[in-house]
Amino acid sequence: MASGRDVRDMLGLPIGADAPKAALQKRPKPAGPSRLPKGVAREVAALYGERPPPVAVYEEKKAYRAKRANTGPAKKWVRQSFVNQARPDGLVLKHWRRKRDPEEKMIGNGEGEDTAMEDRENEEPYVESSGEFLKYNVEPEMPAFTDEEYEAHLRSDDWSREETDYLFRMIKDYSYRWAVVWDRYDYKPAENSSLAVQESTANGEASQALAALPFAQTRARTVEDLKARFYHISAKLMKLHIPEVQMDADQYARYEMLTKFDPTLERNRKTLAAALMNRNMDEVKEEEFLLAELQRINMAANRLDAEREELRARLEAPLPNHQSQAGLQSFTSSQALQALFQQLFQQDRSKKRSSGVGPGRLSLSGHDIIGTPTSAQQAQMSAANRRQSMAQQVPQTPIKNLPREEEFRFNVSTHDRLTSGVSFGSDKLLKMRQAKSNVQTQKIATALQELGIPDIIPIPTARVADVFEGLIAKVSRLLDVRKVREKEEGECRVLEAMKKRLNGDTDGANDDADKNDVKEEKDEIADSQEDGDADADGDAENDEDNDEDNDDDDDDADADGDEDADGEADEDAEGEEEDDDDEDAEGEDDSRVPSVRQVSEAVSTRAMSSVGHKRSASVLSQASNKSSKRARR
Amino acid sequence: MNMPNSSTAPNANEYAGDEVSAIVLDPGYSTTRAGFAGEDVPKSVCPSFYGQIGDDGDSSRYFFGENSIHNPVGDLQIKNPWGSDGIVEDWDTATKIWEYAITSRLTGSKPTDPTKNGLNDANGDAMEVDVEALEQSEKPLEDSPLLMTEPGWNSTKAREKYIELAFEEWGTPAFYLHKTGALAAFASGKASGIVIDVGASHTSVTPVLDGMVLRKGVQKSPLAGNFVSNQIRLSFKQSSPEIPLTPHYLVASKTQVDAGAPAQASYKTFATPPTESFRRHEEERVLTEFKESVVELWPGPGRFSNGTNEEIAKNQPGRPFEMPDGWNQVFSSERFRVAEGLFDASAALTDADSPKPKDEWCIPRLVQQALTHVDADQRPLLLQNIVVTGGSTLLYKFNERLNYEINTIYPSTRNKLIAPGPVVERKYAAWIGGSILASLGSFHQLWISKKEYEEHGSNIVEKRCR
Repeated sequence: MASGRDVRDMLGLPIGADAPKAALQKRPKPAGPSRLPKGVAREVAALYGERPPPVAVYEEKKAYRAKRANTGPAKKWVRQSFVNQARPDGLVLKHWRRKRDPEEKMIGNGEGEDTAMEDRENEEPYVESSGEFLKYNVEPEMPAFTDEEYEAHLRSDDWSREETDYLFRMIKDYSYRWAVVWDRYDYKPAENSSLAVQESTANGEASQALAALPFAQTRARTVEDLKARFYHISAKLMKLHIPEVQMDADQYARYEMLTKFDPTLERNRKTLAAALMNRNMDEVKEEEFLLAELQRINMAANRLDAEREELRARLEAPLPNHQSQAGLQSFTSSQALQALFQQLFQQDRSKKRSSGVGPGRLSLSGHDIIGTPTSAQQAQMSAANRRQSMAQQVPQTPIKNLPREEEFRFNVSTHDRLTSGVSFGSDKLLKMRQAKSNVQTQKIATALQELGIPDIIPIPTARVADVFEGLIAKVSRLLDVRKVREKEEGECRVLEAMKKRLNGDTDGANDDADKNDVKEEKDEIADSQEDGDADADGDAENDEDNDEDNDDDDDDADADGDEDADGEADEDAEGEEEDDDDEDAEGEDDSRVPSVRQVSEAVSTRAMSSVGHKRSASVLSQASNKSSKRARR
Repeated sequence: MNMPNSSTAPNANEYAGDEVSAIVLDPGYSTTRAGFAGEDVPKSVCPSFYGQIGDDGDSSRYFFGENSIHNPVGDLQIKNPWGSDGIVEDWDTATKIWEYAITSRLTGSKPTDPTKNGLNDANGDAMEVDVEALEQSEKPLEDSPLLMTEPGWNSTKAREKYIELAFEEWGTPAFYLHKTGALAAFASGKASGIVIDVGASHTSVTPVLDGMVLRKGVQKSPLAGNFVSNQIRLSFKQSSPEIPLTPHYLVASKTQVDAGAPAQASYKTFATPPTESFRRHEEERVLTEFKESVVELWPGPGRFSNGTNEEIAKNQPGRPFEMPDGWNQVFSSERFRVAEGLFDASAALTDADSPKPKDEWCIPRLVQQALTHVDADQRPLLLQNIVVTGGSTLLYKFNERLNYEINTIYPSTRNKLIAPGPVVERKYAAWIGGSILASLGSFHQLWISKKEYEEHGSNIVEKRCR
C-alpha cells in the first residue's frame, strides 16, 4: 500500500519537510477545562456541570474611559501672522496655530538655541497666506455695457447715465438685494450734474439733458422703478450680445422674464400683498372660518366618495377605468384601444376560466379585435363578418322601452339595425326624390314644385324625413293612379277602335302589330305568375297594355336593372335590408322607398308585370339572395 | 479622544471660525460691554456713567468703573457721555470710558517702557529711542482688531469719530463698525428679522435683511428703561402718602417696620456730600431693583386701561418691596401702570416735567412704522423673526404683551418672537453677535485695515461699513 511517503517520493517532494507540521496542525488541542465564563467564580462555574448555560451570565465590567494616549510632550502653539488672500491690502493678523515643524528642525540643527533664535529674529518673520475663506468672497454677476452701447440703445428720458451707473453700482454692492438697494438708494445728481451737461452738450443734446435733469433730481424711485430700469437694460444687453434666435432655453427664459417685467403690475401686486397683511382681526377670522368650512365640506365630500366607492366595490362592478374617467377622449389612440381591449380580453378570459361556461357576457372574438372602428384592418374586413359581430353585439346594449309619447318628447328613436357610418339626413331626402326613371323623377319633382316644397329642405330632421317620406309615397301613388288611368283610357280607346274595326273594315298591318303585342304580354304573364296570386290576378288586365306604355316601362326597367345592381350591392355591403320584407324581390323595387313600392304594387300590379322579363331575372337573383340571407340567419 | 456632545465647543472648521483675538466693544447708555471675539459673554461690563470731581478742565479728576462711581466721595458728580438722541456727545470722556472697559479687564496695562521704568538707568545714557515707535507701542489695542457697535441711527460724523478713535487713539491694526440691530439678530442666529431693542435710554426697532440694516425702517423712541424709572418716580410721588426714595449710601442702619409705615432708620452724614447727580444715580439703582422685582407688564388681552383689566390686576396678589431704609409696601396695580407707557402712551403718568409721551413712540407703533418703510415682500419674513433684546425687555411679562400687541396689529401673518431666555443673552445680544461675527474666518476680508484708513481717511467707514 502506497503511503503518503511514497506519493511524496513519486512527486519529488522533500520527504520530511511538511509531514511533521501537518501532524502538528492536525493534533487536537488539549481538551483543557472548557473556557470559564469571565466574572463568574470557579465554584459557581462548577455548578454548571458539563454544559454551560446557553446564555452566559457576565457581569458588566466597569469601563473607565480609555486613558488618553500619550502623544508626547505638549505641542507648542504660536500666534501665527497671516495674510488673507481675499484682502487686497495685505493686512497682517494673527491667529493661533500649531508651531510649524521646520522651525523645530532648525532649532535642533546642532547649533545652539541662541543662534537659532537670533536667526529667526533677523530673518523676515514667516507670514502664512490664508486662502481658506476665499471661497466666501463671491462677486455678483453684472451685465456690462460700453458707452457706445449706452448711447445707441439704453438711453432713457427718465434716467441719466450717471444715475444708471449709480444704480448698477448699488446693485453690485448689495448683490441684487432689491429691498436693500431701494433702502439705501440715495442718488444725488447734483454732484455729477455739471459733468452730465458737458457730456450731453458734446452730443448736441443739451436741451434734452437739461430738460431731463431737473425732474430726475426730485424723483423718489420705487423698487419697481429700479427693477424696471435694470431689467430693461439687462434684456437689451442680452439681446445685443446674443440674438434671440441663438439663445438657448435657459437664456431665452431669462430674456423673457426680463422683458415681461411690468412695474405697474408689480406695484399693484405689492399693494394687494400689503392690504392682505393689514387686514383686521375680523377679516382674518372670517377667512379662517370660511377655510374651516371649506375643509369640512371637502372632508364630507371625500367621505361620501369613499362610501360610494365601497358600495361599488361591494356590488362587484368592474373596476373603474382611470382612462374612462377622462371620457372617450382617452381612447382616440390605437395604443389606448389596444390596451383597453387587452384589459377586457383578460377579464373575459378569466371569467371564462372561472365559470367554465361558453362565451361570457363580453365575448371578444378575434373578429372584434379587428373590428374596432379605428383599426387599420377595417378595410380588409368582410361585410359578413361585420354583420355577424353586430348581430351578436346588439343584444348587449340595454334596451329601454319608453312610452310612445316619451319617445317623441325626448326625440328617441330605436333601430333594429343601424347602418354603419354616417349619412346626411339631406341625402336621405334627396334619394326619396329620385324615382327609378328619369321621367318619374321629373314627375315627382313637378308635383313637389306644385306643392311648393323647395328642392333643399333646410333642416332634414328625422321627423321631417318621415313626413317627407309620407308625402313622396302619396305623390308616387297619385302618379301611379294617373298612369293607370291613362292606360285604362288608352285601352278603352284601343278596344273601341278594335270594336269599330271588328264592326267595320280595318287595316291589316295595324292588326298584326297588336297581335304581336298581346302575345308578348301573355308570355310575360306566365312568367310573372311565379310571384304570387295577387300578381296573377292583376296580370290578366296587363294583357291589353299599349305600345307607348310598354316602351315607357322598358325604359324604366332598364333603369331599374342598373339600380338594382347597385342597390343589391349596397344591401350586401351595408346590411340594411329589413328581414321581414320578402317582397323586396321585385326587380323594380327601390329599397330606399319600400312603402312607396308596396303601395304602387298594390294599386297597379300591371306596371310590374309589364317589365316581367327583367323582373324574372331579378327574381332569381333575389331568391338566391333571400335564401342566402335565411341561411345566414 | 472625547466624543463631541452638546456641551463641547464646535470645531473651528465647522463654523468657519478663525479667531484673531479681536476685541468687540459694544457701548451703550447704561453699560459698556467689551470682550474678546469668540467668547460667549463680554469679559468686561462696566457702567457708562463716570464720576467727576471738579469742573471741566485740567484740575478735574475722573472715576471709572463700578467701584469708584458708587463711592460717596464729596463733590462727586455722576455724568454720562451719551446725548439724549442716543449718540455719543462727550467724545473725550466716552473714549476714556471705553478705553477703561478694554484695558481694565482685557488687555491689561502695558508694562512700562524699558527706557522709563528705571531698571535700565544704570547702563545707558546713549539709548536712542524712536519716539514714534514708542508712542505706537503705548497704544492699548496695538495687536487686536476692534469691532465696535453703533446704534442704527448713528450720524456720519459719529461714525467717522469712531474710526478715528480706533486708529489714532488706540492704534488698532484693523477696525469695523456694525449696527447693534444686525448684531443682535446674529446673536439669535438670524440674518433677517426685525430687532426690537429696549435699552436704557432708547427703544429702537431695526429691520434687518440678510445682515444689513434697512436704514429707512430704523425707528427709535425714548420710551425705554429710563422712562420706566421716571414713571416709577412719578408713581411714588403721586401716591398718598408720598413714597420716600432713599438710596443705599445714605442709610447707616435700618429697623424693620410695618408695611406702609414710615421708615425708622439712622442716616449717614457727610462733611462734603456728593452732588445731586450722585444721589440720583444711586436712586436709579434702587429703581432698577424695583423694576426687576416688582414691575410687571399687563400681558393682555387688551390694554391695561381697557375695561375691567385694572380691576383684575388689583385682585391679583401684589408684590412686596422694601426700600433701603426699611420702608416697605405691597404693590398691586401700580406695578402694572408704571410700565404700561411703553405700549400705551395715554396710560403713562404725567406731571409738569414729564409730559405725555407721543403716541408714535409706543413699541407697537414703532414696529408698524418700521414695517411700512420696508418693501412689502419682506414684511412677512421680518415678522417671522422678531428678535427681542435689551435689558428692559426683561420686565416681567414683556414678551407676552409684545406678542399680543403685534398679533393685534398683524393678525394675518405668522408672527414669531425670538427672545433668548438667559438674561445675559438678552442684555448683551449685540455684543454676542459681534463676538460671533468677528471670530469668523470669512470676516477677515471685511476689516478696515490701518493702511486703508491711512489711504482713504475716515470717510472709508461710510463705504465699507454699510
